[in-house]
Amino acid sequence: MKKFRAVCRWLHRELGYLTVGLTLVYAISGLAVNHAHHWDANYQRTRTVEHIEAPGNGPTPEVTQVVLERLDLSEPVKNTWRAGDDQLQVFLEGAKLTVDLSTGEVVREGFEERPWLYEMNFMHLNTGKGVWTVIADAYAAILIVLAGSGIFLVKGRKGLVGRGGVLMILGILLPIIYALLM
Amino acid sequence: MRGLIVMMLAFLVGALSVSELAAGPEWGRSDGEVKVFGAGLTGEETMLVSTLLADPDAYVGKTVRVSGIAVGVCAHRGCWVNIASDVEGDVVRVKVTDGEIVFPPEIMGDVITAEGVWTANKLDLETTKQVCSHKASEEGKPFDPDSVTECMTLYQITGTGAVVQPAPPAKENSD
Repeated sequence: MKKFRAVCRWLHRELGYLTVGLTLVYAISGLAVNHAHHWDANYQRTRTVEHIEAPGNGPTPEVTQVVLERLDLSEPVKNTWRAGDDQLQVFLEGAKLTVDLSTGEVVREGFEERPWLYEMNFMHLNTGKGVWTVIADAYAAILIVLAGSGIFLVKGRKGLVGRGGVLMILGILLPIIYALLM
Repeated sequence: MRGLIVMMLAFLVGALSVSELAAGPEWGRSDGEVKVFGAGLTGEETMLVSTLLADPDAYVGKTVRVSGIAVGVCAHRGCWVNIASDVEGDVVRVKVTDGEIVFPPEIMGDVITAEGVWTANKLDLETTKQVCSHKASEEGKPFDPDSVTECMTLYQITGTGAVVQPAPPAKENSD
């Protein structure tokens, strides 16, 4: 048992150090995406309103030209789309402009990747698949090893037969009870 | 101790091997300037959005492929994209399973070709009112629930794959 405990300590220590970075990525991103219904975890979004002289709702090619001239944009235009009689949309890198052709109101909806968090969410959700699937699987396997080896790190009152055991049972019961109540 | 280590390593190697086999197509993987989402495109022929919308019931349950400007993307999860029709003002929605394919907002304004099964969802009156209310709220228009008296059928493509490429340099959209 002494030897087994030593192996557990070794595994727990080595793998623990190895996975600090990944654990932080998954934990921070976990908090972010857990509240995806409250905020956009990947993009910072902005919405501003400005006005141009009303271009009127004539034929699309003419209206588009007038709108672009009046917007006087400094950034390149990706595309435009006549969404309706009264509406023209202008697509830019990182923004969409919705122009009300009758009133001249321009709503600019901008989006920009959240630095660091975008990449962390990308990894956490395994959006890219491919090679990250391998890394994520390895990390999951290591977590199982960490959980298993962690049980046997300490002996005595604070270990499995004492407080540690009680805490472990609580931690196991929590998801089981939730699953039963679902 | 050695046995345990060997066992752990074997477990890791096993997990890696399985994951290699299970690895699906990458999301938004780039092929030059072209981005491929999900399963990409198969052998279906591209049809006009207007053709699809002109007789939507005729295509229900069939695999269809359409192409056009990406004019809207789900802001929460990137789980749908609206594709502009060749007829001004009309759009068709491609809905994908959350997390399986994620359409980023950057594709808005690009040309997207998407494929999937054309589906019809017949809504009850209450749901129809909710959908109309949501749409009105998005457009900033007032909404009176009593004005809705007929049930709606929502048509969309249940998407399996898409390819996105930058729009040609022309700034005007076609009529």
